[in-house]
Amino acid sequence: MDVVTGIMATAFLAGGVLALAALGEVLAERVGVVNLGVEGLMAMGAITAIAVVTAAPNPFLGFAVALAVGLLLGVMFAIATVYWQANQVLCGLALTLMGTGLAGAIGRSYSGLPARATFERVVVPYLSDIPVVGRAFFSQNILVYLIYLVLPFAIHYLMFKTRHGLNMRAVGENPAAADAAGIPVQAIRFWYVAAGAALAAGAGAYLTLAFVPGWSEGVIAGRGWIAVALVIFAGYRPWNAVLAALLFGVITSIGFVGQARNWPVAPALLSTLPYLGTIAFIIVPVLAWHKIRRRMAAPAALGLPYFRDMR
Amino acid sequence: MTWRFQRFPSAPAGAALASRIAAIVLALAVGGVVLAFTGVNPIPLAGEVVRSTFGSGFGLEDLGLLMTPLMLTGLAVAVTLRIGIWNIGADGQFYMGALCAAAVGLFVKGPEPLMLVAMAVAGLAGGALWILVPTLARAYADVNELITTLLLNFVATLIVYYVATGPWHERGVMTLGSTPRIRYQLPEFFGSVHYGFLLAILAAVVMAAVLAFTKWGYEVRFSGANPQAARFAGIPVRRRIIVAMLVSGAIAGAAGMLEVAGTVHRLQGGISNNFGYLGIMVAVLARGSCLGVIATAALMAIILNSGIILQTRGINTNTVLAITGLILFFTAIGDEFAHYRLVTTDGKGK
Repeated sequence: MDVVTGIMATAFLAGGVLALAALGEVLAERVGVVNLGVEGLMAMGAITAIAVVTAAPNPFLGFAVALAVGLLLGVMFAIATVYWQANQVLCGLALTLMGTGLAGAIGRSYSGLPARATFERVVVPYLSDIPVVGRAFFSQNILVYLIYLVLPFAIHYLMFKTRHGLNMRAVGENPAAADAAGIPVQAIRFWYVAAGAALAAGAGAYLTLAFVPGWSEGVIAGRGWIAVALVIFAGYRPWNAVLAALLFGVITSIGFVGQARNWPVAPALLSTLPYLGTIAFIIVPVLAWHKIRRRMAAPAALGLPYFRDMR
Repeated sequence: MTWRFQRFPSAPAGAALASRIAAIVLALAVGGVVLAFTGVNPIPLAGEVVRSTFGSGFGLEDLGLLMTPLMLTGLAVAVTLRIGIWNIGADGQFYMGALCAAAVGLFVKGPEPLMLVAMAVAGLAGGALWILVPTLARAYADVNELITTLLLNFVATLIVYYVATGPWHERGVMTLGSTPRIRYQLPEFFGSVHYGFLLAILAAVVMAAVLAFTKWGYEVRFSGANPQAARFAGIPVRRRIIVAMLVSGAIAGAAGMLEVAGTVHRLQGGISNNFGYLGIMVAVLARGSCLGVIATAALMAIILNSGIILQTRGINTNTVLAITGLILFFTAIGDEFAHYRLVTTDGKGK
């Protein structure tokens, strides 16, 4: 495997974590709810997956239970923010603190151990013979295919090609108008926020079952926040989110190559690249292309709770 | 005549206070129940915490040492909250303040009082510098400051870790990630509690006065309450945001400086101890009130200290973080409920 293929293979693998979490956040933000709890949800998903595979070594089971835990936490978050109209920023930060803390407390007995079951590579015949991209992409684990091909397609189709998707976007842009048109605003918000949270927890499970694999404290390392930033960078669109995540996979991957090849930069400093890159990527486009700002703008009702009796 | 709950645009202070007390009690109760399920009886633990915190001079000293950074990071977050900005990067600004102060303390020689002032200036500058990019991005390009300030926390943590384990690492010592001891230190006035404690209280009082009584403070509060109206009233909202954010960063940086010069006397990898994140809690519980920060910092110090006391009993800082998260969650819900009042309707005016 040559260097470029190696970088791309790692990039697909590393980007998958961010892509899955970012897709979840796209769902929540498109219906008008900012979920800043992604970091905590990922931590809970990550530790759940490890705890499950330690008891029963099956990665699919671990992933499924992580999704369920994410859904449960998402339901809790959605009840507070959607039905009880609590401040979304505060609830999100609270979810991050709770998830990170609880996962750290549970994770002490699993810390540093390799995962007992991981997602195996599934080499796609013929396609994996394509030079560079084929070799890098088509010999990954099953989740990578799901995250890069199936999910963005499904979410894009749902959001932009169906009537239900139109309703979803209406709820995020103008809930009062949507409500007047008979769309169940709160129910739509509730379910997509919960589903988005499940995907975030799934991203955590992916991290500990397919990417690292294993649990150690601080393993999420801000990826949840990067995912939230990517959604802005991606203009709240599923395909863009996946591509942006892949771009970050490349940046992470370059950091790894740097460490492996003993570049004269300290590993700790190379690790700052994804964070600095994220900051650059959410600032630079705004400065550079004023024109696309409106097309990439956030849903108009993002972050605002909907009060039916005050519209 | 029927009764119903009606939402009012503002929550009365009493209801907000009640919602906070309920949130804390509820979160501690949930924490206690979870602990009970894991086989730890929470009631004797609570007794132990109270005894070792308030029953001895050492306990009170620890409380004072924890309160100092918490008051300042809480103040840093509170200042931005007043203008409607979320600085959740106080942790990073704390690290950078500590780093700059340590740089001066380690590599410059001079008389101690002068050096302490120099370290303080370095700390303030380090914190302000660390929030500069998010500030400008927010003020001129409307880039969400939540994410930029938060991501810089990770960068600051990594830089301090790199410096403390690499170039500034104390040679010949096996302790992981610590610089040599810094010669200059703040004098102490109560056991090991240094004058930084009093400076933090002073800072809170001064900020409260500035916000309440000066034109600048009025304009900051006005811009926070209604930016559009503030702009129409001729207030330079952008400039107020820039200054408020830089002040916030500087205050968090000062917390880092005091930690280096007063408590730890070295620069270490994990020197911030989540103070920046807990500062969010402190500010939110105080509803952005600078004087309230003193009280809520004391409360957070007690919670944090309990975690440290209970470390030997299998409860670590992670449990404390989870319980703080729960308090924040219940507070957010309670704050919304505090907007509702029971009103009577006669059925006609509906």
